[in-house]
Amino acid sequence: MFSDIKAGDTTPTHNHSSVRDWIVGDACTIHYTVMEQQHNAQESPTKPSEYDPDINQDELIKAQEKQIAEEIKANTAMIGSLDDLSTLEQEYSNDPVYSGKVKTLLPKYCNVRRTRPDGNCFLRGFIFAYLEYCIHHRDELARFKKYLEGSKEELFEMGFPKFTTEDFHDMFMEVVSDLEGSGSVDRVEAVCNDGGTSDYLVVYLRLLISSHLQKNAEFFSFFIEGGRTVEEFCKQEVEPMYRECDHLHIVALTAAVGVGVRVMYLDRGEGAAVASHDFPEDSTPVIHLLYRPGHYDILYNKA
Amino acid sequence: MSLLKEPPPGVTVDVDQAHTKLTEWVVHMEGASGTLYEGEKFQLQFKFSPKYPFDSPEVIFVGEHIPIHPHIYSNGHICLSILTEDWSPALSVQAICLSIISMLSSCKEKKRPPDNSYYVKTCSANPKKTKWWYHDDTV
Repeated sequence: MFSDIKAGDTTPTHNHSSVRDWIVGDACTIHYTVMEQQHNAQESPTKPSEYDPDINQDELIKAQEKQIAEEIKANTAMIGSLDDLSTLEQEYSNDPVYSGKVKTLLPKYCNVRRTRPDGNCFLRGFIFAYLEYCIHHRDELARFKKYLEGSKEELFEMGFPKFTTEDFHDMFMEVVSDLEGSGSVDRVEAVCNDGGTSDYLVVYLRLLISSHLQKNAEFFSFFIEGGRTVEEFCKQEVEPMYRECDHLHIVALTAAVGVGVRVMYLDRGEGAAVASHDFPEDSTPVIHLLYRPGHYDILYNKA
Repeated sequence: MSLLKEPPPGVTVDVDQAHTKLTEWVVHMEGASGTLYEGEKFQLQFKFSPKYPFDSPEVIFVGEHIPIHPHIYSNGHICLSILTEDWSPALSVQAICLSIISMLSSCKEKKRPPDNSYYVKTCSANPKKTKWWYHDDTV
């Protein structure tokens, strides 16, 4: 759930996925992990070496997940402050591959804003960067507001529950209307860092993605792994909070909202250049994001 | 609330109880006609945490009659992914009730989960503390 990790860090924070992988495809009808912990104990070095039947392993795993989430919450703002890009260079001073690649970003980009790695980082980064852009481009804000207004009916048509969907929609409209007035970047920062508001925006973006994927299910079905339908994919990977955004999510969101995003991929791929990709293809990006395996931050290009 | 105005067939909210404590609801539910549970009456208890809707409600069957179903334990705990891992803040109480009714309706043989006695003995009172695995979409 919290697999957002720092680039270069290959140690899983906990063993959730390994346990899961182990059971996938198993046809047994055991519904929970308590018993399997026992079998797995010797295989994984991260588990306690001796199995104690008096300890409820489920609760231990849950508690650990919660603790990790709390730590992330305490240590990082949902949307961080505007930092110089050189801070990224410093972060990788001992890593020739990454520091080399960061150097190639320096001529184009000047600043970075870090986001909280809680699985919502893409969406939170996207909406912050976009609303910030809208502060300086009022006509775009007006266009977005119009789109948002119409999107509610579209979601109803796709079968999203009226009562809850409306709630998330109304909050989004409120934020946009507020920004229309005396909107400032500070205001966007405050809104995106306010748990109550920020999470509502994230939920609504998830619904927009889900709706777009399902509306174009025939096309997107070719890209979905694991023999799932587009609807199942949306229920499992898009609509729940904290699920990371992948290529498909980004394709769908940028197409649905009509906002160009450029993602710079900072990874261990060959060469010194940082690969980039524009969503939707051939669009003019108004938002720039920095991708490191499992995480997205916001980039600012030099004016 | 939409659940009061347009509930799925066979579902009613215990309004008096919901009024005494807003964070705890009891929903009366009736097995759909033409299914193994036709005419049976059940009660579902919903508990909402302060983090709702970002955190899923705790939902269990309560009362005398717990449905006999391969994904429902005799203590009322339900193995249903939208109640934990696949919870989405946009899901309503109504949507949960519908999922549970549809889970009951598609059941072909009334039986308890095979690990019922072990689970009921070792689990926490709160099903959300159980780390569920979901892998059977047929029932």
